[in-house]
Amino acid sequence: MSTSATATVNDTPRLMKSTGQGLFNFVTGLTILFVLWWIGIQLISSSPATAYFASFGPVPALRAMVAMWQSGLIQSAVWASGSRLGAGLLIAIAIGVPIGILMGRIQIFRELSNSPFQLMRMISPLSWEPIAVIVFAGWDSAIIFLIAIAAVWPVMFATAAGLAKVDPNWFKVARNLGASRRHMLTQIIVPAITFDVLTGIRLALGVAWIVLVPAEFFGVTSGLGYSIEDAREGLNYDQLMAMVLVIGAIGYLLDSFFVQLIKRYSWHRQT
Amino acid sequence: MTKRRSDKSENPRGGSPLDFTKHDDGINDPKLVLEEPLFGGVLGTELTRRTLLKVGALAAFSGAAALSSRKGWADKKFDPVVRVGYLPITDAAALLVAHEMGFFKKEGLDSERPTLVRGWSEIVEAFQAHKFNLVHLLNPIPVWMRYNNKFPVKITAWDHTNGSALVVGAHTGITSFKDFGGKQLAVPYWYSNHNIIAQMLLREAGITPVIRPQDAKLGPKECNLLVLAPPDMPPALAARKIDAYIVAEPFNALGEIKAGAKMLRFTGDVWKGHPCCVVAMHEADVMDPARAAWTQGVHNAIVEAQLYMAANRKATAQLLSKDGKNYLPFPFEVIDRAMNFYDPAYYKNPLAIKHVEWHQSRINFQAWPYESATKVVTEELKKVVLTGDRAFMDKLSPDFVAKDLVNYGFIRKSLEKNPKWRDDLSVPQKGDPYTRVEVIEV
Amino acid sequence: MSAVAAPTGSFTSLCRKILGVRRLFCGFIGLVAFFAIWELGTLLLGLNPATRTFVTFGPIPTLEAFPVLWGEGKIQAAVAASGYRMGMGMLIAIAIGVPIGIVMGRSKRFREMSNSAFQFLRMISPLAWMPLAVIVYPEWDQAIVFLIAIAAVWPIVFATAAGLSKIDPAWFKVARNLGAKTMHMLTQVILPAIAFDVLTGIRLALGVAWIVLVPAELLGVTSGLGYAIKDARETLSYNHLTVMVLVIGLIGWFLDSICVALIKRYSWHHRGHN
Repeated sequence: MSTSATATVNDTPRLMKSTGQGLFNFVTGLTILFVLWWIGIQLISSSPATAYFASFGPVPALRAMVAMWQSGLIQSAVWASGSRLGAGLLIAIAIGVPIGILMGRIQIFRELSNSPFQLMRMISPLSWEPIAVIVFAGWDSAIIFLIAIAAVWPVMFATAAGLAKVDPNWFKVARNLGASRRHMLTQIIVPAITFDVLTGIRLALGVAWIVLVPAEFFGVTSGLGYSIEDAREGLNYDQLMAMVLVIGAIGYLLDSFFVQLIKRYSWHRQT
Repeated sequence: MTKRRSDKSENPRGGSPLDFTKHDDGINDPKLVLEEPLFGGVLGTELTRRTLLKVGALAAFSGAAALSSRKGWADKKFDPVVRVGYLPITDAAALLVAHEMGFFKKEGLDSERPTLVRGWSEIVEAFQAHKFNLVHLLNPIPVWMRYNNKFPVKITAWDHTNGSALVVGAHTGITSFKDFGGKQLAVPYWYSNHNIIAQMLLREAGITPVIRPQDAKLGPKECNLLVLAPPDMPPALAARKIDAYIVAEPFNALGEIKAGAKMLRFTGDVWKGHPCCVVAMHEADVMDPARAAWTQGVHNAIVEAQLYMAANRKATAQLLSKDGKNYLPFPFEVIDRAMNFYDPAYYKNPLAIKHVEWHQSRINFQAWPYESATKVVTEELKKVVLTGDRAFMDKLSPDFVAKDLVNYGFIRKSLEKNPKWRDDLSVPQKGDPYTRVEVIEV
Repeated sequence: MSAVAAPTGSFTSLCRKILGVRRLFCGFIGLVAFFAIWELGTLLLGLNPATRTFVTFGPIPTLEAFPVLWGEGKIQAAVAASGYRMGMGMLIAIAIGVPIGIVMGRSKRFREMSNSAFQFLRMISPLAWMPLAVIVYPEWDQAIVFLIAIAAVWPIVFATAAGLSKIDPAWFKVARNLGAKTMHMLTQVILPAIAFDVLTGIRLALGVAWIVLVPAELLGVTSGLGYAIKDARETLSYNHLTVMVLVIGLIGWFLDSICVALIKRYSWHHRGHN
């Protein structure tokens, strides 16, 4: 990264060009998607029986999105789902990272826990629904549980994998230099595994998104999944697609955020 | 006049009558109600209730009247707030209106705004986990809960009668049930009166209901059944994946309005005043004498809500809709049509209303749970085609179910307080309004 | 990795055998612990009279139901039906995902143009596609396969593209200099190089597909593991539900292990050894 002022001045047009290029690509890509979408729905709704399903198209969806934004529906849904998702992810991280570190550091624990964890990991998260209803007093907590139970596995295994990459000599060196356990944790382990943990969280986010919609079948009164189901029940497909757009956009934003974080902590960068 | 119970009681499992005097455990109390095979096999063991009482355990499962040393209904604590769970169908109306129009409050009961749940499994699980103490369930569901799972549930009233219909796709050209050979019919749930009625109708027309993969070959007199969530039914019909579906309102109205569906038959026109969704409560709330006043208040409110709805149909539709208090996520027109549109002149081709003289409505609101109807449902459940395990039903007699599953005390008192309930036309207008002979005419 | 030749002989193979046995033993203990904790949870449910009805979720009713359901052929039928849908969905995801991933990796222009659209589509919950799938596909099985494919394709696309970006561009130059046609480039250079990443992507896709299978089978079919779970739930046969859930878990684990073994085989570290 150049630091001289002259170099910066010369870089500006190039930076602007690359930003412009990036923006152009971004917009063009989405536009092509919208066009394909529009064509697809035109084809589907061409027969009189399915004419109603023209409301799946991009134009009705955008119109519905505007209306839903004005009525505050989108904001409240994003807030409700976002808080559940956030809580679920935080719990998944709070549980997954420590257990992942344990798995990485203590071989006997890893060997003992491998089979049950692998088994539980492959259990479809929605199969936990009846348990969630029984155990949790509130609906929100049941949903957060479902999200957490789906999200914890990618985080856990990514953390363990990250630890496996750490050169064992580092621990020896640190111990020789008199590092306490806590130092070991904060100065060696956490920085080393950040990249992998973030990758795991990114994966967990993807899974949690999938689980969110059916999880909100429970007795809540707001949320993205709730709004999608509401639209689906009333056959208001324009509203459904509007929410789908919102979900896609937010998911994209969150994912890009994590990609940036991951790039920052990437090993390749640091060398 | 109270009947004197003898020391001998009919053995519901068949065989020789139970003779209490023979037991040497000292419990020769004839008032002790014991004809409950439900507890003849608690938790899969062969423990009888006498044994349990002898041991003094699980007293909470007792359905008996006066045993003053009883510990109480430990399996379900008393929750004074009425917590309603419901699905977004018009069947739920009575419970919703009871809260919204303050009928619970009038009875001195606290109630929370009813909780919307999206599926029957979810509502059943939440009910079992005591998140709700008042729900509406499809009529067969409590049968499974009580006799397959031994869960202490009681039907205490009917939510409504009628309110379902069978629609066909415009592309199918179906005009009668005889045309269902080789067709695909969707039901909302195997364990529903919709499935029962649909199969009744098919059988009457000489068609055999089957359950096969979609691309399996069907005989000329076979109709394939499948389960779809109600919101998926109109799109599936429009996409010609299914040829017909039977479901609760307002999904028939939605199908008519948005998916080109044609009404083939209203279920209330086949089985006059049939039950569909019933009011279910925990057995503890129903049988514990300490909670009787609360339970009575709940039922008074339900009946008053039903009377209100019968007199103010349009206002009710408005209240429930998205344009009102948003209990059901549909606009007023849809709910209005679903509740009120029952014009024989409109539904001429195909002839969806054959029995105009029955004077039924698209949905009726009356709460008395006729024994005869429960017996029909039990009998039909043994015959109907479905995929679940049904072995437990072999031992059930319709008479027994009608007496054991349904509680008549509270709803009777509420109805007696409000004689206007008889005005509803699914109630027999002549003779004893509390008994009827089921009229099923295809 | 070590320049010194590994000591051969019975001692090493003995050590390896012992380690293998130890791993198996630990795995066994781990599963036993899992069942024990599960049983503990069930006992807790049983102690509270309010939740006693849910004891059928426990391991003992589940293990009792297993042979019954197996004997009735229900497990096999469900696995066959779901297996078909999963298999088709994954095949389609691979058949579409790998080529697109390769194009993304090779053509910078395509990658930059398609990135926004793909990232956007990727984040749409597969279940939001359900009503559309119902309308578009004439058969229920096709709709379910579509839902699985649309969920599984993204990990494969992005893993393939990532794999391609790791290839040293010099290789392409060399291959071109040696007269390789595009076909050769594909089969001799690209595919072997990206095998590791594609397999990693397939592994991820498999995980996602398993999650989607259960809700996807709500769509009008009367067979399959997801349907069996739904039916068990609706008949309140919770021990049947747990049987099916375990079957899903076991099969998923098995398939995942195969992926891991394949990945190890194609791993670069491994290749370096040879």
